[in-house]
Amino acid sequence: MRRCLLALLQCLVVLVAVFVVGTRLPGDTADVLRGELGTPEQVEALRARLGLDEPAPARFAHWLGRLFTGDLGTSLTTGVPVGDDLGRRAGVTLALGVPALLLVTVLAPLVGTVSGLREGSRPDRALNAAALVLHSVPEFVLGLLLVASLSLWAGLLPATAVGMEPGDLLARPAVLVLPVTVLTARHLCDLARQVRAGVAAQRHGAVAEHLRLLGLRERTVVLRHVLPGALGAAAQQYARCVEGLLGGAVLVEALFGLRGLGDGFVEAVQNRDLPLVQTYALLFAGTAVAVNLVADLVAHRLAPRRELTA
Amino acid sequence: MSAPDGPYAPPRARRPRLPWAALVLLGVPVLLAVLGPLLYGGDLAPADGALPSRPPGGQHPLGTDVLGRDVLGLVLRGGASVVGGAVAALAVGMAVGVPLGLLAAGPSRRLDEVVMRTSDVLLAFPGLLVLMTLAATGHRAWGWPVAVAGLLQVPAVARLVRGAALAPGARTVVEALRMQGHGWAYVQLRHLVRESAGPLATDAAGRFTTVLYLLASANFLGLGLPASSPDWAVLVERNRDALFLQPAAVLVPAGLLTALCVGGNLLVDRALARGRGLM
Repeated sequence: MRRCLLALLQCLVVLVAVFVVGTRLPGDTADVLRGELGTPEQVEALRARLGLDEPAPARFAHWLGRLFTGDLGTSLTTGVPVGDDLGRRAGVTLALGVPALLLVTVLAPLVGTVSGLREGSRPDRALNAAALVLHSVPEFVLGLLLVASLSLWAGLLPATAVGMEPGDLLARPAVLVLPVTVLTARHLCDLARQVRAGVAAQRHGAVAEHLRLLGLRERTVVLRHVLPGALGAAAQQYARCVEGLLGGAVLVEALFGLRGLGDGFVEAVQNRDLPLVQTYALLFAGTAVAVNLVADLVAHRLAPRRELTA
Repeated sequence: MSAPDGPYAPPRARRPRLPWAALVLLGVPVLLAVLGPLLYGGDLAPADGALPSRPPGGQHPLGTDVLGRDVLGLVLRGGASVVGGAVAALAVGMAVGVPLGLLAAGPSRRLDEVVMRTSDVLLAFPGLLVLMTLAATGHRAWGWPVAVAGLLQVPAVARLVRGAALAPGARTVVEALRMQGHGWAYVQLRHLVRESAGPLATDAAGRFTTVLYLLASANFLGLGLPASSPDWAVLVERNRDALFLQPAAVLVPAGLLTALCVGGNLLVDRALARGRGLM
């Protein structure tokens, strides 16, 4: 219950912050639209028409009202309604994020558990070292190296997806292989290491020891106790990863020329297109808040001892 | 005496060895970043008649970049902003986070609630997106991304310090110190800070790579330093189209960045494994 209140509060903070960022700029939308060409009277008239002469709290209420009715405004540079732009880009981001998410969800607990149950063995040490290195290599470096070696040098996979629509992407999955790999690598390694540490710690914990003394089989101990405990601890990390994958993999999209949400955000930032920036910021922060809420609830369910305010 | 053996024996503590690989990986980029600017005092602007993207040789031991600048000089000068930015951001995070954590662990429960709830609210925001929103609103001078990257670390640092100061053992010692007549400042600043120094140091090393990664990503996306800066991440971005023409201009800065991150994480991992083994 308190956790849900916190999430609501977070949403409110995001809304206010996004609005303040929008209003605190030197110059407002009217100045930007008219540029240097308009006379002061014209700018003033436009300002009145857009409702920019109202006091800030009134405008905030106004903006919030339109937000809830689904009117996100129009882009300053293209004049396209923000909603349309978002819809087109969300397809690309999903085509990228969903496979990556599936890979991480399946592989991370698997690798982490296998590794954690054999802590200190040779395969474990090798896996752990590989995960550590892959996790540490910056995404843009990994992407560059993969493109250079696999696509430009060996010619195995396409290097970019410049100018492709979501439909084309699904028709030619080869284009997605490299972006998804780069996107998956970091999160997968991060999560697998977390699960491994959790499994290794739980396996030698007092509770597991006690269950063994009670005569439970090792398999039961691992499946019913060790694994839930380790996954509960990793749920937070998983939330970060979901939010990173779905909330626009900014770097990967920039690297491969994919026109997804992250790329849209960068473009909006570069054009200083505030209605767009506000919407993107709201979307990403909203996703983050929602995913974190779910993660906390799941973590609580899997490992009830871990208090929220630990 | 032989250690207990069998299937449930605790993992054996390995002999402490100096982590040479990690130290070298971390040391080379840091040394370059610190000493580089002293070694190369010259002008970075391309010399007259210098050709862009020339392979190594002649006057330029590592060749030239897309603008015809000497890659060796750029690399020597570019580390300062990478390492300096990360250290500065970390300092900001610590300077705000440690007092907040101590405050939260103090006697006032209401203060604790306020500090912790506020940091909960901030914890959910993805760093890169905050940096991008800042860039969109014109805050793109060097100080802004660094300060924000630092402030983003505050909730985690405050949480850690609060946890260490509230640990049952620490509480007892605090009571004892207070009964001996030591003042608030002595207890807070001498005892509790020392108490949390260990976990804080490990966390700081991990956080260093996080911040480094964040700032490098922002610079790579062109959201931080100007495009003419010799920063390693900016160099990688500028020269990536000429990767095959002049590999050194991309691979050297990229390798240094990677070495820094890998080395830092290796050290942290070791420290954490040690901590687990000792417990």
